[in-house]
Amino acid sequence: MNLELSDEQIALRDTVRSFLSEKASIAGHVRPMLDDPTGTTEAVWRGLADLGTTGLLVPSEYDGAGMTMVEAGIVAEELGAGLYPGPWLSSAVTAVRALTRFGVDSSAAAPLFAGIANGSSIVTVGPLDGVRPTAVEARDGVLLRGAIEKIWDVAAADVLLVLADEPDGTGLFAVKTSTPGIEAPSQTGIDQTRKEFRVTLDDTPTRRLAAAPPEAVEALVDDVVIAWAADALGAARAVLNLAVEYAKVRRQFGQPIGAFQAVQHLCVDMYETVELARSGVIHALWAADATDRAERHLAAMRAKAFAGQLASVADNAIQVFGGIGYTWEHDAHLYLKRLLSWNGFLGGPDRYLVDVGAKFAESVLH
Amino acid sequence: MDFSYPPEVEQVRKELRAWLAANLNDDVVAAGRRRGRDDASFQTLRTWNSTMADAGWAAVSWPQEYGGRGATVLEQLVYAEETTRARVPVALNVIGMNNIAPAIMQYGTEAQKRTLLPRMMRADDIWCQGMSEPEAGSDLASLRTRALRDGDHFVVNGQKIWTSLGYRADWCQLYVRTDPDAPKHKGISCLIVDMSLPGIEVRPLVTLSGEADFAEVFFNDVRVPADALLGPVNGGWQIATTTLSHERAGAARLYTEMQVRLADLVADLADARIDNRPVLEDAITLRRLGQIALRIKYLEVLCQRSISAILHGGDAFGSASLAKTIWGEVGQDIAALAFDLLGSHAEGRRWADYRLTSRSLTIAGGTTQINKNITAQRVLGLPRS
Repeated sequence: MNLELSDEQIALRDTVRSFLSEKASIAGHVRPMLDDPTGTTEAVWRGLADLGTTGLLVPSEYDGAGMTMVEAGIVAEELGAGLYPGPWLSSAVTAVRALTRFGVDSSAAAPLFAGIANGSSIVTVGPLDGVRPTAVEARDGVLLRGAIEKIWDVAAADVLLVLADEPDGTGLFAVKTSTPGIEAPSQTGIDQTRKEFRVTLDDTPTRRLAAAPPEAVEALVDDVVIAWAADALGAARAVLNLAVEYAKVRRQFGQPIGAFQAVQHLCVDMYETVELARSGVIHALWAADATDRAERHLAAMRAKAFAGQLASVADNAIQVFGGIGYTWEHDAHLYLKRLLSWNGFLGGPDRYLVDVGAKFAESVLH
Repeated sequence: MDFSYPPEVEQVRKELRAWLAANLNDDVVAAGRRRGRDDASFQTLRTWNSTMADAGWAAVSWPQEYGGRGATVLEQLVYAEETTRARVPVALNVIGMNNIAPAIMQYGTEAQKRTLLPRMMRADDIWCQGMSEPEAGSDLASLRTRALRDGDHFVVNGQKIWTSLGYRADWCQLYVRTDPDAPKHKGISCLIVDMSLPGIEVRPLVTLSGEADFAEVFFNDVRVPADALLGPVNGGWQIATTTLSHERAGAARLYTEMQVRLADLVADLADARIDNRPVLEDAITLRRLGQIALRIKYLEVLCQRSISAILHGGDAFGSASLAKTIWGEVGQDIAALAFDLLGSHAEGRRWADYRLTSRSLTIAGGTTQINKNITAQRVLGLPRS
């Protein structure tokens, strides 16, 4: 029983935190990237790779850092706190875990792992839910046909890992984004720090990497949910801190607004929500690599089920800021949008709450 | 990052489970549900407390020299989890053992320690605590009950309220004002008072559920021997506010208690129907259940974080005070769900009773609002209002 961060984990957190504040601040990097479909610059991506953050989940037998989701979560939390708009979650977590969870052959996995780790390649994966494209056997190889309704970071990526239906189940396929015939219009929603796309594949030549059995797909989706939850925790923590600091210095009626109990209690409610979220996130990050399938999956469902309440932290922060929080110029809305996109990711919280309730009832009655 | 408990702690869990399987019976559990309100259940609990004490399971956090086990924090955590899950009744002297005994161990004379502690642990003597007064609730330091020195006695006058077990108690740890001219925190002393002394009158305090779970205690010229003083004269505030307790894993009771309550509710809902369908297939019910189960799990981790902080030198204060607030709210949510689904009469009115008594969860031991003020100022660093 030890839930504290180790010295190495604290060093990782602090390194990422200071890199973001120096090289990828909200004013200097995030805002200029809001309308950029890649969400990143060469320099910032290179910087994140040089810090080792893109290769931290790459297994050590592939010369990666071989770290766990706990370390990935530490990085994700900082990226969320800094509203980082680039493809880190897609490439460093989703793609790496897909290659790992589906047991892709070393001959195919090694170059992908190497490119992701050193930053020369950006890889994204989809679809994580909904209808999948179909893999069709043709005379000179396998072709992908159909659409991916939602996939992140396609403009930044050079490789897509596609989950596609095949006659006996589901497989994982690799496609270069430069392949002719791929259409990928931007579908970014209110959260401009998340670059979302719809991809159509029109008999696109592809390479099959591995089978993707349902348990492995579930495990991958759980990994992604858990990493996003850590990102959302970071966003909520950051906007809470901004609001609390503002309440200490903003004066009305001759005193700081933070001296009013009504404001204090609002801040404590936000803090309570953030700390509950942190509890869920650290448990889920640990569960992702250390427990059985059922516990990991339940931890991921809980994280999604809590997403609605977590978004309320940004709503309440805007309330603390008052009028200034309602402006485009202020960063509060960027945090609200980040948290709302987490809320909507793979469906809103209600059905996850129902699932968590059903699981609890089942655990009592069986 | 590791949520698992070490094997030596799991060994204690195994021993305790085996002992409970052999010794705990349904009568004792039922008496615990009635909380010793009637004489029969009170007697059952008293006997059960002595059985636990004789087996060394009554006060595991106490040092061995006083009959405890000197249990480590994780052993205490496992103890709290297992006893709560097995529905072991809370000890009659729980306040005494957790809050009064550590003060006696630290400040008491040898005679006080030798005579009082073993009898407290076995529930041979029943203890109450005289703290709150009608005009001193959340603001405890403004208490008014006076003790004037008169030769080798203190003469006590005043009134205490919300005294758990006041009408059963043999002893009271009483906080009194001994220096009315000093600043309010500096004129308070602590006395160990024999409840059979002349001039003490105990009246039952009937709560909103119709039960006399508390008492009002009146002191009219009660002559208390001077050697009843615990700690220094005017040093009572220190005793009241310093955490002397050896109990470090009380947080584990918070989440385990709620896990058990929610599990009991689910069991009671197993056959319930809504619109001619099982209630446990109703999405709205499951959503509410999920909301509560989710919060209990996160409360569990929050409590584990505070325990981890104690073990590894982190900061436990923030998570511990939040945990108490969340515990209270979760309890009220369970009560509301149960009452909404089962109504007034289910399970011998147990859930209706809980619907009412759960109001105390956000009041007793410091209201949620005062708790939030403290968190705002001490944890978030907001200015005093």
